[in-house]
Amino acid sequence: MAISAPLPLVASPGVARPPTRAVVWAISLAGCAAGVASFVFALTNDAIGSELGEPLVIATLWNWMTLTYVLGGLLAWWRRPASRFGPLMIVTGFVCFLVTLAWTSSDVPFTIGQALDKLPAVLFLYVFLAFPSGRLTGRIERALVAAAFVTAIALEFARMVLGDYGAHNLLGLAPHLAVSETVRHVQLLVLSAFLLGGVGVLAVRRRRAGPALRRSVDVLIDAFALGLVMLAFLYVSLVVGGPAVTEIRWATFVTLGLAPLAFLIGLLHARLARSSVGDLFVELRSNPAPADLRDALARSLRDPSLTLAYWLPEFESWADLTGSRVELPDRQAGRVTTLLDRDGSRMAALVHDPALEDEPELLAAVGAAAGIALENGRLQAEQQAHLEELKGSRARVIEAGQRERQRLERNLHDGAQQRLIALSLELSVLEKELGEHPDAEKRLDAAQREITASLEELRAVARGLHPAVLTGHGLAVALEQVAARASVPVRLTVEVGGRLPEQVEVAAYYVVTESVANIAKHARATAATVDVHRTNEALVVEIVDDGLGGADSERGSGLRGLADRVEALGGRLRVWTPGGRGTRVRAEIPCE
Amino acid sequence: MRVAIAEDSVLLREGLVRILEESGLEVVGQCTNADDLLLKVRSYSPDVAIIDIRLPPTHNDEGLRAALEIRAQHPSVGVLVLSQYVELGLALKLLAESAEGVGYLLKDRIRNVDDFIAAVRRVADGGSALDPIIVSTLLSRERPDDPVAKLTPREREILELMASGESNQGIADKLVITRRAVEKHVSSIFGKLDLPATGSESRRVLAVLLFLRA
Repeated sequence: MAISAPLPLVASPGVARPPTRAVVWAISLAGCAAGVASFVFALTNDAIGSELGEPLVIATLWNWMTLTYVLGGLLAWWRRPASRFGPLMIVTGFVCFLVTLAWTSSDVPFTIGQALDKLPAVLFLYVFLAFPSGRLTGRIERALVAAAFVTAIALEFARMVLGDYGAHNLLGLAPHLAVSETVRHVQLLVLSAFLLGGVGVLAVRRRRAGPALRRSVDVLIDAFALGLVMLAFLYVSLVVGGPAVTEIRWATFVTLGLAPLAFLIGLLHARLARSSVGDLFVELRSNPAPADLRDALARSLRDPSLTLAYWLPEFESWADLTGSRVELPDRQAGRVTTLLDRDGSRMAALVHDPALEDEPELLAAVGAAAGIALENGRLQAEQQAHLEELKGSRARVIEAGQRERQRLERNLHDGAQQRLIALSLELSVLEKELGEHPDAEKRLDAAQREITASLEELRAVARGLHPAVLTGHGLAVALEQVAARASVPVRLTVEVGGRLPEQVEVAAYYVVTESVANIAKHARATAATVDVHRTNEALVVEIVDDGLGGADSERGSGLRGLADRVEALGGRLRVWTPGGRGTRVRAEIPCE
Repeated sequence: MRVAIAEDSVLLREGLVRILEESGLEVVGQCTNADDLLLKVRSYSPDVAIIDIRLPPTHNDEGLRAALEIRAQHPSVGVLVLSQYVELGLALKLLAESAEGVGYLLKDRIRNVDDFIAAVRRVADGGSALDPIIVSTLLSRERPDDPVAKLTPREREILELMASGESNQGIADKLVITRRAVEKHVSSIFGKLDLPATGSESRRVLAVLLFLRA
């Protein structure tokens, strides 16, 4: 799933706004009223003292839980309106309050409170599993919470119907205390099993999650999952009658009441992350170089694995900064994509760790901060893509030309040349058959000379079109011939280790032939060296002469054509030609 | 003397057959590709096979490869390779091991019928025929303290003919000098180039080529 975040914006996209002030006040007051009320319930009822411990202590601890959840939830809702986590916490807090209705001596409130008695345990489980989005994402999580709900509510009803909880229980229609006791045991044990299962799910989820360093606060939150373990332990103790149940109960309430603080620290942490967005703003204002953008974003989002892709509408594809096409990963690959828009049109995509999905605001804020720099990056990517396209088409044009020349060369050889030789043979035979005939002999000789000249011309043309020997036998063999034919002594070294891509060989061949021809025409050199060797990624061709130097690049129309040929393959051609000190031509042609 | 020909141009092949037959050689097989040639060589054991270096299907070096294979499998059959250009590297490949019964000529040489027929006969007899251009190309190469520079012009002329496979008698005929004089020059050349004297004329071709190539 991709979150589309229109820019510029700071709030999360297309989700609820924070609660209004009136709602905040109403909930705060309701929470405080609930707290006061439950104190009153606790202190006016003698019965709970014996069952749960000191009424004042138990009321204080319970209200501690109620209020931290309500107020913490409120804060979470306000700060993270996109997340359902805040409301979930508030509900949990109020349910905790409703449970205290069971502390009253009136039948109806007691019955309601008692019916909800085990619900807070399930909600705690829910809260822990749903942090920080407020939603249960996995199937196991949902099944676990649903089953816990059923256990907490249905079995509680069953116990009440079976006459548990004494006189104030209005539901005790079919009293059967022995069965009720069994149901109680089952309920408590099953609930504790679910709680522990929840802790297990949390542990597994954490281990699978992205870079831990990004969310050190998760560790803190997980620590408070201890509250769930304690609750499970409490339930088991209630069944098997372990020691110090009261103290365990108190400690459990304290721990569970502290958990909202951990959740709030988690939120504050996100706020801290927001301040790194401020740094990003500053950084980008000073130097919005597209090349450094990814690193800056990765720092702000604390996700070293972050990658950036730019949308190129003309090419209808995603590309990186060099203009090369990239595919956005799908969710299965463990990566999440967040699309960043600007003025309603698609611009870039952040490919990041799934953990960042918990902080859509942060993503949106970072996206907004990087807006201009992203636009620059996109332009650069687009430019590069155009450049690549151009380079590709230039290479294709040259290649097509090369193919055509090769075809022509073959035609000349297999057609005209063979015919001329055959014709010449025919003349020789004719000459013999003619016997003594001086005049005819003379004319036949002239015809033969004409054929010789034609053959030579033909050969020169054909060789200029395409060096056939190159195709068949590679650079070393072809260059040997060039060096041998040169007008000045040429020292040739070719170290290329086998065949190279044809385009590369042809380009290198022409660099050498053209340079050697230039030396003959202009340089007045006495010697030249030709060195062809491979480096890791390129073929290097270097031709040096000891002639006049001072060659301008227009000399021998060939140099510009050579540069085209070399550049089309992504290489470059350079000429050093200091006056009076010879000329050096160096071509580097990339080859894998 | 029996000849097999592999040449895919009909005109040229027929021309070749004609001049060979008129010169009293027997053409026992003609074909247009390397595979057929190998078959014909196996079946007829000719004295020499004349092979176009470029043959179908790719027209790259099928002919050269066929020549090398014949050399390997039928050492008694001479091979004379015809090429559009002088391709030094290919010629040296063909001569890598020995120059006995090997020829490498430019196609144009066919036109000088007498010289061509002489070359065919030489190769068929186990001698060599190297295109003069190859030899002069090799000779024109730069070498440090070139011993070739120490040769007299006459000796240089004789070296070229020797390297292209001519026998002492052939050289004598060409230069219109006595065979004895040729022999004297040859031993002088071998001395100056510091090459060991060798009996066989084919072997000395290789020795000279190796020397020039180094």
